[in-house]
Amino acid sequence: MARRYDSRTTIFSPEGRLYQVEYAMEAISHAGTVIGILSKDGIVLAAERQATSNLLEQSIGSEKIYEMNDNVVAGVAGLTADANILINQSRVIAQRYLQRFDSPIPVEHLVRRLCDLKQGYTQFGGLRPFGVSFLCAGWDPTFGFQLYQSDPAGNYSSWKAACIGENYSNAQSILKQEYKDDDSSDAGSNSSNVGSAGTRMTMDDALKLTCVVLSKTIDTAKLTSEKLEFATITLKDDKPYIHIYSSEEIDEVLKKYDSVMKPSED
Amino acid sequence: MKLRAELAIKCATHESQTESRNHSIMQYNGSAIVAMVGKNCVAIAADKRLGQQALTVDMDFEKVFRMTDRTFIGLSGLAADVKTVHDTLRMRVNLYKHREERVIEPKTMAHLVSHMLYERRFGPYYIEPIIAGLDKDNKPYICATDLIGCLSLPEDFVVTGTASDNLFGMCESLWEPELEPEDLFETISQALLNAVDRDAMSGWGAVVHIITPDGVITRDIKGRMD
Amino acid sequence: MDALFAIAGKDFVISVSDTASARSIVRMKKNCDKTYKLSSHTLLAVCGEPGDTANFAEYIQGNVRLYSVRNSQDLSPSETANFIRNELAGSMRSRKPYNVNMLVAGVDQNTGAASLYRIDYLAAMAKVPFAAHGYCAYFVYSVMDHEYTEGLTLEQGFDIVKNCLTALKERFIVDFPDFSIKVISTNGTREYDLAEI
Repeated sequence: MARRYDSRTTIFSPEGRLYQVEYAMEAISHAGTVIGILSKDGIVLAAERQATSNLLEQSIGSEKIYEMNDNVVAGVAGLTADANILINQSRVIAQRYLQRFDSPIPVEHLVRRLCDLKQGYTQFGGLRPFGVSFLCAGWDPTFGFQLYQSDPAGNYSSWKAACIGENYSNAQSILKQEYKDDDSSDAGSNSSNVGSAGTRMTMDDALKLTCVVLSKTIDTAKLTSEKLEFATITLKDDKPYIHIYSSEEIDEVLKKYDSVMKPSED
Repeated sequence: MKLRAELAIKCATHESQTESRNHSIMQYNGSAIVAMVGKNCVAIAADKRLGQQALTVDMDFEKVFRMTDRTFIGLSGLAADVKTVHDTLRMRVNLYKHREERVIEPKTMAHLVSHMLYERRFGPYYIEPIIAGLDKDNKPYICATDLIGCLSLPEDFVVTGTASDNLFGMCESLWEPELEPEDLFETISQALLNAVDRDAMSGWGAVVHIITPDGVITRDIKGRMD
Repeated sequence: MDALFAIAGKDFVISVSDTASARSIVRMKKNCDKTYKLSSHTLLAVCGEPGDTANFAEYIQGNVRLYSVRNSQDLSPSETANFIRNELAGSMRSRKPYNVNMLVAGVDQNTGAASLYRIDYLAAMAKVPFAAHGYCAYFVYSVMDHEYTEGLTLEQGFDIVKNCLTALKERFIVDFPDFSIKVISTNGTREYDLAEI
């Protein structure tokens, strides 16, 4: 049955499904894991680079984590080629906004514009959807730190901690268990709070939890900087500051949290 | 500088009649900007006036912008285009930064500006920019372009704006090679203040940026406020 | 011939505009409001070519409100002013440019700070403590220069407005029927009567 309805994205199957979109999502669930964790004073992003040959030149820049704008950094799971197009588009969108309004683009605004673009490819003539999911970590003056996840269909949602890519469901259940939410505020007034207001995590906690989750989701004997990318977004002089870690800095982080990662080996 | 601008307008319009009209566009808001090379440092300074011909509208108008940590651009000419060109250039510089994952060099930025301006060859932005900065080897770089992007790369100083004639005279007599940051500050400030005092279209105090390998020193200086 | 000026304090802006609508030497209307409410805390005052002013202001009003609806968040005064300038700068290089001078007055709802932007028909923009457009500028600028102090109170602001209006009455050849005086503050926008201030 699928044969008949999966050659074109614009057509629903009799069960009401869009096969191409689902296939795209399936592709992403085999891609390198990307984790994002929100804390009180910043966001941690970490991504797994999947097995590469040692003959391959190590690229100087990162290949899974990109700056979209001075206030937004994104982790990519899926086809890198597709991601490059979207990253470039989002950079242009962000800069156009800056040119027009002379203020940095609100994070959700950028994510929504990006997802509108993705959505178009699930509907219009004969095109293939983007095989990419993003985790966008950003800051804006109105809502503070925010973490968004997006999928190939063009859906996006805001999270305190999220994971996309291989083993994502596994990672998400660990995150759910380990994430320190601000319980006191649950009963209180902050039901409408978006972003970093409702969390008890510190940046240290977030980095630690990232390492724990990575060690349990990535199928390898030992985590090394060769297979990982790290980035954080924090505030420096009241301005968003994005830091993409060098391989030495990643090794340092891994060494620091080595002890918490070990128990997972069994 | 002025001569080249006029020539450019003449070429752009092919009519000597519109020359005076276009010329007055460059003088409509009034401005004075100067940049100087020192010893391992550069300075860029501008007046603060925004006017509509003889009427002063703002005494704190920004004409010099920090595009990267150590590259500045000063835009003289029509105030509307100062803002438009700055906003567009900021977009291009930021995109360069994100795509290349490195900060743009002053020389690269000068050519970017030159291209942006020549793109509008037959309907130009009425501005004459000055770019000043230190490159990755801490070598000073200054340059100016006319309104259609013709680069000029002097080794000592560049001037632009309605007070450019006066500035030329001041710089010619005050500037000397290998000035240390503090001496360069004194030289550029005196050159600018004395130039704008004899120009009705610019003045109302000034701002000076000294770019050194250790960072940027920015000072507001008071001039004659009349 | 329109009179349009404004004075900004720390957390308020007073905007004054005349209410005459004239064609050539004839006054067609006496109670014309030349200000447009862009959001609860931003006001746009316009003068210039009569058709252009209304058309451009309504276009801006529509787009600023559309932004609010789409993003469930208002543009700040600085964002609004930059947006307006951008639209006008685009129009400047079109076949038929809008001939509109504007003042954008607003209070930032995040910081509570008031700001005033002056945009002329060439799309030159400046953030200023006080501003005026048109012929009236030649009369009221000197008054405001003389009497403006940083962080003035609303009462002090009104005093300056009164003196500006006196100067206009005394020395300007045009006789204005009435003035619309509006104050934008953290509480929103309120219109004042001439007798009230």
